[in-house]
Amino acid sequence: MMNGGGGQKKRGTRIEPFRHRVETDPKFFDKSWRKLHDAIREIYNHNASGLSFEELYRTAYNMVLNKFAPQLYEKLTENMKEHLEDMRTCIDAAQGGLFLEELQRKWNDHNKALTMIRDILMYMDRTYIPTNKKTPVFDHGLELWRDTIVRSPTIQSRLSDMLLELIHSERTGEVINRGLMRTTTKMLMDLGLSVYQDDFERPFLEVSASFYSGESQQFIECCACGEYLKQAERRLSEESERVSQYLDVKTHEKITTVVVNEMLANHMQRLILMENSGLVNMLVEDRYEDLTRMYTLFNHVPDGLTTIRSVMASHIKDTGKSLVTDPERLKDPVDFVQRLLNMKDKYDNIINVSFSNDKSFLNALNSSFEHFINLNNRSPEFISLFVDDKLRKGVKEANEEDLETVLDKVMMLFRYLQEKDLFEKYYKQHLAKRLISGRAASDDSERSMLVKLKTECGYQFTSKLEGMFTDLKTSEDTTQGFYASTSSELLADAPTISVQILTTGSWPTQTCNTCNLPPEIVSVSEKFRAYYLGTHNGRRLTWQTNMGHADIKATFGNGSKHELNVSTYQMCVLMLFNSSDVLTYREIAQSTAIPAADLKRCLQSLALVKGKQVLRKEPMSRDIADDDSFFVNDKFTSKLFKVKIGTVAAQKETDPEKLETRQRVEEDRKPQIEAAIVRIMKSRRVLDHNSIMMEVTKQLQPRFMPNPVVIKKRIESLIEREFLERDKTDRKMYRYLA
Amino acid sequence: MAAGGRVRFNVGGQVFETTTTTLANAGRDSMLGALLDSSWNVSSSSPSGGGVAEYFIDRNPACFAVLLDLLRTGSLHVPPHLPEKLLYREALYYGLLDHVRAARWGAFDGDRIRLAESVPGRAPGDGTAIRAAPDGGCCVAHGGAVRVYNWMLDERRPVSLDHSQVNDAAYLDAATLLIAARERLGKRDGGMAAFSAVSGDLRHRFRVAHDRQVKSFTAGAMAFDQESRIFASCKGRLNEYGIGVWDRVTGEQADFFYEHPGCALGDADKLQWLDATNALMVATLFPKADNCFIGLLDFRAKNVVWSWSDAGVAASLDDKRVLHAIAMEDERSVCVINQYDDLGFLDLRSGAGGVRWSSRSKLMNRKVPGEESCYPKLATHGGQLFSSMNDSISVFSGPEYVLTSTLRRSHGGAICDFSIGGDRLFALHNEENVFDVWETPPPPII
Repeated sequence: MMNGGGGQKKRGTRIEPFRHRVETDPKFFDKSWRKLHDAIREIYNHNASGLSFEELYRTAYNMVLNKFAPQLYEKLTENMKEHLEDMRTCIDAAQGGLFLEELQRKWNDHNKALTMIRDILMYMDRTYIPTNKKTPVFDHGLELWRDTIVRSPTIQSRLSDMLLELIHSERTGEVINRGLMRTTTKMLMDLGLSVYQDDFERPFLEVSASFYSGESQQFIECCACGEYLKQAERRLSEESERVSQYLDVKTHEKITTVVVNEMLANHMQRLILMENSGLVNMLVEDRYEDLTRMYTLFNHVPDGLTTIRSVMASHIKDTGKSLVTDPERLKDPVDFVQRLLNMKDKYDNIINVSFSNDKSFLNALNSSFEHFINLNNRSPEFISLFVDDKLRKGVKEANEEDLETVLDKVMMLFRYLQEKDLFEKYYKQHLAKRLISGRAASDDSERSMLVKLKTECGYQFTSKLEGMFTDLKTSEDTTQGFYASTSSELLADAPTISVQILTTGSWPTQTCNTCNLPPEIVSVSEKFRAYYLGTHNGRRLTWQTNMGHADIKATFGNGSKHELNVSTYQMCVLMLFNSSDVLTYREIAQSTAIPAADLKRCLQSLALVKGKQVLRKEPMSRDIADDDSFFVNDKFTSKLFKVKIGTVAAQKETDPEKLETRQRVEEDRKPQIEAAIVRIMKSRRVLDHNSIMMEVTKQLQPRFMPNPVVIKKRIESLIEREFLERDKTDRKMYRYLA
Repeated sequence: MAAGGRVRFNVGGQVFETTTTTLANAGRDSMLGALLDSSWNVSSSSPSGGGVAEYFIDRNPACFAVLLDLLRTGSLHVPPHLPEKLLYREALYYGLLDHVRAARWGAFDGDRIRLAESVPGRAPGDGTAIRAAPDGGCCVAHGGAVRVYNWMLDERRPVSLDHSQVNDAAYLDAATLLIAARERLGKRDGGMAAFSAVSGDLRHRFRVAHDRQVKSFTAGAMAFDQESRIFASCKGRLNEYGIGVWDRVTGEQADFFYEHPGCALGDADKLQWLDATNALMVATLFPKADNCFIGLLDFRAKNVVWSWSDAGVAASLDDKRVLHAIAMEDERSVCVINQYDDLGFLDLRSGAGGVRWSSRSKLMNRKVPGEESCYPKLATHGGQLFSSMNDSISVFSGPEYVLTSTLRRSHGGAICDFSIGGDRLFALHNEENVFDVWETPPPPII
């Protein structure tokens, strides 16, 4: 048996060689996944306490190790989706205000669950995810939340409507749960910036725009500008606070732009120009707070500040124009300038306090002043008169520092002047009068003014003024020298004189009408002339009797004695009454030879000024006729021993004088214009007419605005004198000769 | 968690006890961090009687002991009987692989480095280039493919660009590898591409367009700047030579610096971005070009702001020829090397002056006749200068660059390329296709 057919017999048992792969449990994946699946369910059900992390982690690890990661990932996605679907149903069911709370609760649940799921699948996150470019588990969970919950058709619009509604009610003054708002927007931000922007920020900005557009429409109809701006400011700060409380920082700029556009930019013109409360009113009433608010708010608006600036500039021009052209104001130059200074101070203050010292506003202010000050061609004269007034009064009215600041301010006005040379002319005249009559209150102030002018106008101008000061100094020495060298017997009983020797050219020339001096004076002045010409060779001395002054002792009929401080002319008149009691105007005019206008003024000041009536006039009228007679006023009384008889001195000019000054200035300009033309032509050799005009104007502008007609005339004159010639082919071209 | 912050683990039957503070070193993003996190310990937060919480972990206890020691002391000590790969696998399980890597070797110091490992390659033929990855891995370009190794020196999937000859490789970051390859005649392949260093997948292929027409090209050397640009020397079919520039984020071509006559850019051997100077150094060297050209390109003004060339200087083969160049870290000079192993310096701040050679050749001329030699290479790191010559690497330190160390291994033949990165130095040998890994040992205990 054993041998027969043993080869065909099948063996009972068979041991296979070990050559096939070790099969893993075919149900390995399903079993493992079931474990994880159950665990995830428990986690979502807040029932994770019974779970062993180590076991779950090991399970997931083994699945990845056995290359089941793709399936695991897929299953996980599916499973999380299911859980999220359940959550969505719950959230959908939440009524009204509970909706956000429910959403928040579920979001927290999901987050917590997600953290734990991520922990379990950490090994997959480290190995499978990066090599296969998958989204890590946690982020994947957020994406699923976004797609299943936040962007589900039932929730998406409800969520954004709810948020916007809450914000709306907060805007209308209600109190809302800001904590809930914050957590909700935080959720949107956690889901990615694009979710926050698309699902919330964009609709939020749109709704805000329409809200503020409506509100601003409503306010602008019933509010004054200041109040409206307050409201806008409040709204802006509210929105800033809202962003800091529960929105993303990046929203701040966007919502600010929306509010600014709707509340300010769209109504800019209307707000700024609002009648009775707009910018002009704020400026007039110095409402610093409102102005500050307007400046800061419109700083956000494109072209906002430009508009404010131009409205302010035109307002300044208007008020300035009405000020300088008001005939009432022309009566009092000092007041005129004081008003200008006040106006300048006012706007300097406004710009400093409310417009944060904005350079462009200061520029606008300056150009506005420049514009209107030059509308009145007497401005240079008035400014000089104002300085004259201040320097006469000196520190009597103000201390030195105040005077300095006033002078500095005046220099500001001076800078605005186009006709600076005209001012200089007047200043020289007024200074001369001040110096000669000894009315300059403070030498220091005079000198400091001189320094200011030097920096503004240059050495050329002030050298003459400085000459005036030196003249006075040397005159003092000369007078002393005269008295020292002349024996006292010769001068006994003669009046004391003090002579001021003025260099011709340094001082403003005045037509000199020498009057007949009283004989006492004539004798002593002739002695002085002899002394002076004896010490200085080749000089000529003329007496400027219209400029001097005298102190005379008078004894009146009632026995009262006074010392009278009078002008030289007045002295001449009074001395006549030493020899006669009554004199008619005609007689006085004949014996003194004082020019009629001056004499009349001088008599008026002696006879008609209340309280200082040294003379009595018959008849007692204001005007002086040829036959009016004058007596010594025997009843003259005064509390003071020394009586100063006012001279009708440095006053604003009368019309003919004005004309004369203007002519003189025009005369003086001619050589300046010619010099400029020659300077330009010398360097350019050949130039056309228009270019010359332009260059000359440019060169002279800091001093004055040359008149084109005058320039043309000067060119003609230079051609006549053969400095220039016209081009033979092109008549418009000039050529420099020599 | 438990009383006194003590934690007990039962790992594969062996009990370990430690503290929560020690475990905190693992970080929340590790398995141990999650295990102890409160979300997983809701009910068991206080085991009865104030005892110590015990966790069971079904893993190898020997490796756990090493890793626990690492968390306690911050230093890694692997017992001789424990295979490293086993430890790495366990570390990955616990999410502590980065901890292990950080403790595995010390901060790079050219004077203290030791040979850690020699890795034999299997690819036929000579290697072209070796590049160190920022995380301690490396890649070796061999013919038409690039072999990629992670820091554990496990080989990953090789990467190739249609198996075209690879000219250069570079790590954009630890996970992204760039490859520059030669275009083969008649095939529109070659060029430059980015691969995942982990999976070896092609991520992006860089294009070059001339006159709005996409053209195929041969890419040579590559470089990056700090922010966003990738540079490569490019040779197009129709003399479209120059430096291509791409945006690192989008991968799109951002610029192209066409070659001027007299400055060879398309064949460049070495590109280097100089951040402080805001310029790209381009070096085209012998034997690729007959004359050596080194220049600095300013891409804003599109001009060459500094250049040097030996055109007309080197007449015969015995003259000193610049074979490699590198801009020093202070960006004040360019260091060059010649066939006699001399170092030379070019001043970047002055226009002229030529190479200042420091002649070391008399001292060090130890060329073995008959042995196949390689062109020398240069590298800098942390103020030290490295140069390869034949089978050794010289380390120069200090402001005067004094020779302080020589790294040599007995076999493997001449070094054809080396690279420093991730605190390691990799040297590729010409013969036997082997590369050496040099690292700094952790600092001494005292």
